[in-house]
Amino acid sequence: MNKNTVNIGIPSKGRLKKDTLNVFKKKKLRIYSERGERDLFGHIKKLTNVKIIYLHARECIEQLSLGNIDIGFSGYDLFKESEINIQNKILISKKYDFGFANLVLAIPDLWLDVQTLLDLDEVADEFKKKKKRLLRVATKYPNLTRQFLYSKGVTQFQLVKSLGSTEVAPFTGTAEIISDITSTGATLKANNLRILKDGEILKSQACLMQSKLSIKKTGIKKIIRLLN
Amino acid sequence: MKSKNLSNKILRLIKSKGFKNIELDPVLETKYILQRSGENFKRLLFSFYDLNGKELCLRPDLTISSVLRFVQNKSNKKQKVFYSGEAFRKTYQKQESIIKNQIGFEILGSKDKQKEDREIIDTSIKILKSSGFKKAVLKIGNVELFNLLINKLDVPRRWKNRLKRYYWNESYFNELLKRLETNADIDPVFVEIDKSRYLKMRKFNSSKEVAGRTYKEILDRFDMKIKDPRRSSSGKINTKIIKEFLRIKCELKNAPYILNKFFQKYELNIFVGKEFFPLNKINNKNLKIEFSASDGRDVEFYSSMIFSIEVKKGKKLKNFISGGRYDELTSNLGFRKVYAAGAAVNMAVYE
Repeated sequence: MNKNTVNIGIPSKGRLKKDTLNVFKKKKLRIYSERGERDLFGHIKKLTNVKIIYLHARECIEQLSLGNIDIGFSGYDLFKESEINIQNKILISKKYDFGFANLVLAIPDLWLDVQTLLDLDEVADEFKKKKKRLLRVATKYPNLTRQFLYSKGVTQFQLVKSLGSTEVAPFTGTAEIISDITSTGATLKANNLRILKDGEILKSQACLMQSKLSIKKTGIKKIIRLLN
Repeated sequence: MKSKNLSNKILRLIKSKGFKNIELDPVLETKYILQRSGENFKRLLFSFYDLNGKELCLRPDLTISSVLRFVQNKSNKKQKVFYSGEAFRKTYQKQESIIKNQIGFEILGSKDKQKEDREIIDTSIKILKSSGFKKAVLKIGNVELFNLLINKLDVPRRWKNRLKRYYWNESYFNELLKRLETNADIDPVFVEIDKSRYLKMRKFNSSKEVAGRTYKEILDRFDMKIKDPRRSSSGKINTKIIKEFLRIKCELKNAPYILNKFFQKYELNIFVGKEFFPLNKINNKNLKIEFSASDGRDVEFYSSMIFSIEVKKGKKLKNFISGGRYDELTSNLGFRKVYAAGAAVNMAVYE
């Protein structure tokens, strides 16, 4: 990578990509790609020292911590889920008014007796004592889920890593409950799941992030100012 | 070097009391830790997979390794053992080492609880005498007293279980007390909404399962919840009693009198005798002996007697020896019950 080039990571797909591109549009920064829509690299007109790289939102965080990109757009949830050594290398420069979603704990809707974490804790204890196994929680966010449950006194559980379609886990025998990101709760409801009353783990939104390894790099401050 | 000489001296003393030296496996299966402490402790483990996909970890604690050794040897005979070595735990404190040097001694498989408890404390006091520390405090407590108190309170069974389970997690325990005080764990609006679904579910096959739980399990627990016999005023009184009990600290010789007076005051019909405090007569003016109703709440596996010896180093008191009885540890790991009592010496106090 050219040392004088400012590399900006943008989510490569979905709503987050669309809303991030709007930020550039509003600031009259025109992004173009030389090889069409599928090109994962781009440039900004009139800013020749800037290179755009389209990445998965999780990858943005990783690459910021390594200093391979200098500025990145991603979700606050993914930042907080990353390991502490990664978080320590990233600065959050701005929280935007888009990409709102909550990381929540959801249980099967038919578990009528479970409304709060206190109930969940008792059920977890029942699993251990009567079924001789731990209650399993499927999630793409193991770190945040573990911290949250422990802080609320629920300790008898086992995390099951999920890579997608987490909502089906309670009905396929993979896990009993899930933690997942949701904006309206509609997907959870459609899959017969219900959010616990006190089961909100984290409020998330889109963020502009900066690699601490690039703080002194020429041109960074100017671009951060432009995007703010 | 000084620390090594001291640890050799302590090991010789333990051996002279009839304890047999054992070697412990440096690696154990992660599932045992998960069974005992759940996911939170797992984050502190140095774990890895072997070629068969079994998850293993460096031993994070020598007590677990020792009781596992006993239970896996299928022996029923009483054993007096001691060990020394390193335990490995990740740490989030920069100055704290990931290697913990531990010396421990245990009596396993004996039902003569009082005698063995006394012997563990007695050996600990002998170690203290040979340690070079002049002033110390011996604190003795007993979890059974707390459990007796909770059993006698007018609170629903599920609340009793909660309070006993979270005795070890002080901050969460305090949060529970707040909820108990305000009676705030059942939302009547939700209960009303769910009642109609409850009646529908009652008509289905009760053995049908939803995410690992049968309809019967779900409905029975729902039933138990809505029939909560707790009055709103009793929450406050019970919280007051628990808080007051946990604040009790006194000279050990006065403990039975003070505790009995406390239980009488609230008409709880509990009598405390000397059997709760297994201690031989000690003639040591520099050793202060105290009873504390809430000491040792950070180690989850104790089931009755708990003790600690703190030594004066400079102006501060530092933990030197701690121990207790942990009869439930093996059953929590998924094995048969083994009566066990022991103590660990914290060599870091010399650093």
